[in-house]
Amino acid sequence: MRRRKRMLESLDWEIRDYIEMETQDNIERGMSPEEARYAALRKFGNVARVKEETREVWSVIWLEQLVQDARYAARMLRKSPGFTVVAVLTLALGIGATTAIFSVVQAVILEPLPYPRPDRLVMLLERVRLRNYQNDLNDPSPGNFADWRAQNSVFEDVAAIQDRSFNLTGNGEPLRVEGEAVSASLFSLLQVPMALGRTFTFDEDVSGGPRVVVMGYGLWVSRFGADPQVLHKSVLLDGVSYQVIGIMDRSFRFPDPANFHGAAQTDQLWVPIALSRADLSNHGSHFLQGALARLKPEATLSQARLQMDAIAQRLIHEHPGTNEGVGVNVVPLREQLVGNVKSELCILLGAVALVLLMVCANVANLWLVRASTRGRELALRIALGAPRMRILRQLFTESLLLALLGGGAGMLVASWGLRALQGARALQTLGPSGVPSVGTLGVGLPVLAFTLAVSLLAGLIFGMAPAWQVVRCNVQRGLKEGARESDSPSRLGLRDVMVVAEIALGVIVVVGAALLLRSFVLLQQTPLGFDPRGLLTLRAIPRSTQYSQPWQRSSFYRQALAKIEAVPGVKSAGAVSFLPLTFFQASKGFSVEGQPALTADELPMAAYDLVSPGYFETLGVPVLQGRDFSWSDTQQTLPVIVVNEAMAQKYWPNEDPVGQRIKEGRADAAMPWLTVIGVVGNFRHFDVASPPRPTMFFPISQLAAGTALLRDWVVRTSGNPLAIAAGVRQAVWSLDKDMPISRVQAMEEVRSSSVAKQQFTLLLLGLFAGLAVALASVGLYGVTAYATALRTREIGIRMALGAQRRQVMRLVLFHGAALGFAGVSVGIVAALLLTRLMSALLYGVRATDPLAFGAVAVLLSLVILVACYIPARRAMHTDPMVALRYE
Amino acid sequence: MFSGRMSTKEQKERIELLQGTLDLLILRTLLLGPTHGHAIAKAIQFKSDDVLQVEQGSLYPALHRLIKRRWISVEEGTSENNRRAKFYRLTAKGRRQLELETSKWDTLAGAITRILRPAE
Repeated sequence: MRRRKRMLESLDWEIRDYIEMETQDNIERGMSPEEARYAALRKFGNVARVKEETREVWSVIWLEQLVQDARYAARMLRKSPGFTVVAVLTLALGIGATTAIFSVVQAVILEPLPYPRPDRLVMLLERVRLRNYQNDLNDPSPGNFADWRAQNSVFEDVAAIQDRSFNLTGNGEPLRVEGEAVSASLFSLLQVPMALGRTFTFDEDVSGGPRVVVMGYGLWVSRFGADPQVLHKSVLLDGVSYQVIGIMDRSFRFPDPANFHGAAQTDQLWVPIALSRADLSNHGSHFLQGALARLKPEATLSQARLQMDAIAQRLIHEHPGTNEGVGVNVVPLREQLVGNVKSELCILLGAVALVLLMVCANVANLWLVRASTRGRELALRIALGAPRMRILRQLFTESLLLALLGGGAGMLVASWGLRALQGARALQTLGPSGVPSVGTLGVGLPVLAFTLAVSLLAGLIFGMAPAWQVVRCNVQRGLKEGARESDSPSRLGLRDVMVVAEIALGVIVVVGAALLLRSFVLLQQTPLGFDPRGLLTLRAIPRSTQYSQPWQRSSFYRQALAKIEAVPGVKSAGAVSFLPLTFFQASKGFSVEGQPALTADELPMAAYDLVSPGYFETLGVPVLQGRDFSWSDTQQTLPVIVVNEAMAQKYWPNEDPVGQRIKEGRADAAMPWLTVIGVVGNFRHFDVASPPRPTMFFPISQLAAGTALLRDWVVRTSGNPLAIAAGVRQAVWSLDKDMPISRVQAMEEVRSSSVAKQQFTLLLLGLFAGLAVALASVGLYGVTAYATALRTREIGIRMALGAQRRQVMRLVLFHGAALGFAGVSVGIVAALLLTRLMSALLYGVRATDPLAFGAVAVLLSLVILVACYIPARRAMHTDPMVALRYE
Repeated sequence: MFSGRMSTKEQKERIELLQGTLDLLILRTLLLGPTHGHAIAKAIQFKSDDVLQVEQGSLYPALHRLIKRRWISVEEGTSENNRRAKFYRLTAKGRRQLELETSKWDTLAGAITRILRPAE
């Protein structure tokens, strides 16, 4: 460095001496002193540039120039505050929206799962391929779980998971708590820390083993005041005493796809699953939610899949009656947990990227307008010997500085936007499908890095336009006094191309939003088949020891329903195994009497629910034929069943369904024949979008199995359903004061929760579409207005020569409208190609829905006409005298 | 890194010479003894029978590049007309480099000649 300084200090006089020596030589050759000096200087060339190049030899030149350029750029931006403010704000919107969506994507899709080496974790599910039933994510049977676990050599261990909920009683109001029954190995597979105590041992995970429970941190704090003494106490779950042995760490989230990304962790209690000998050989009843496994270090996912397929094949041979068509689906845990929001997030990220490109186009256009006024400055600098590369670098420094300012402001927009999202109703009423929580969202390092990268990328993209101008810059023309772009008005400029592209991008986003809007409206208009208005729903599950016998439960339902119906304002009440529109529907194979005997593979499948008498009436589902159940259908009377219209039409198309008989499972199974006593109307069950399937309804009063439970209750009232909630609660508690009552909400709310994800996606995409329209119109307006300004003189001449005002207006309007319609056309074609990517999100409309496309084309055409009309009007009122003097 | 630019007398079009050629010529000139910048330019012009004229603007960057690589050193002295001047001197390292570059140049020139005039 010192060497460098010494070398450069003497450079000045060295060059001066050199030129003097050259001058001397020239004089000796016979030139006049003046002539000699001039010749020497000319021969030496550009002294400043030589110095610059020499200095470059020594310096870490790029750094020096960067600082220099950044300073210059800052000065330039300060000098045109209007441009800077508009550009930074536009960028902030684009980058902010992108950052906000990315932080959701980051939290949901990219953030590693909160377990050590999470990529080794997989979920084992059944892949069922029967003729009448296909499901890649089928609940495994405990027998299959046991065989998978015993026969594989690719997993460290496999743990069974069964959804459970518990009535937690004692210390205060009875509370319904969600949780799971799990294998003892589950926690060691997840490798998660404990706050206190321990998890189960294998000795505790046996049928008839000790009753122990591990509690979640949240429940421990809210119910037990974070009292460490709770470890020595027991709690009452479903009326049975359980010893508390451990508290999970505060950070622990159970890998439950239903609420993994939910704002609150609802799973709070875990007990040993303690599968009995009978369970372990039960391949027919599929009641596990999955089997978690961790790959051995040396095993790969594809090896695991191969081996599990082989095991499944073997099981089909061993248990043809139950395992026919049942394979294993090895799903990486991450996929299992984010599967249901991935496509929405990808579409949103895609849309926001398009908006960001539009922002870049807009800023680039602004920049071009500014660059054309700087054209002479650039031409002058090139003429004075500035290398074009150097000018390019300096322009890009300016673009990047602007982009970084935009990015900084964008971070503010993003954090503000995320806060707004957190407050949005769509996010508070999350359905069980689990729109990602924004409670856990923050602007972390990955998001910061992303924003930085996006800003720089945006800077490079919109910096391209002015850079292109420098590359093309014609020095001589640029230096000519008064030379303006209007010299070549016929050329299709860079600006025009960009505004066309921008409008096209906007069309894609708006078409996407229009398709979602159409879907959502159709979804909202879909007749449910029942009447959600005035319907109260709640969950109360009789599970304690006093309800262990079927007749005890049946009697509870009957009495509780009678008590509820006695509450003032209540018209009727009923109970069901699973409430409609909560993403749950079980299926069963069955046989129709009189049909040829079928193998397990060929059995028809139908959805089913267990119901109380009065359920259909309360829901508002019509009994089309025959009768509803009554409490006089008991285990001693004729076994009966009610089917829905879809089932009646499918299996008895030309006969009276009432009086027909069906049986669960195969015709030769040791089950009683069930006589159809009624047909009810079809209604939407799993969610609003799924069309009704053939469905069987079993009367709770005739079912003996311990798993035969009604969970959800519906109460019809003439007024506001929530107004009677307190009365209904009291009615249930008057029978059993320890019965926890949860999920008290109006059916309308259940319905809107069930479409919350669609609403959320629509809301965001709609927002982006609005932004896109605004950007497109501002962009087009800007280009038209600027082009008009450039043509002021031409317009003046035309008018002076007798052109009518209308003609002038048409001239301007045509130019803008031509660009606009070109953009719309390109955009429509691109959208036709792209919208099929979002067909998974659509309901009732095709990705090429002509109505949505048409509406968008009309809307944007109107916007285009307005955006062009304003400058056209201004042109029309041009005063030819002023225009001719215009410079 | 850029090459020294030279032009021939007859043809004003700039000819981009092979990278490092000017460096090579400077090293060769300094082999005769230390001298100052102007003398180097003049020597190259003179020795090449005025065919090569150093575009003087590229002389100083080239000199500084060579100093930076420690192929030449610089010292202050007095010029012929008794003025303070900078004298550039070939270092031992530069001498080795010159030998290396010269033999490289011979190989290259020979090879190109063989291609351009295959019959001779």
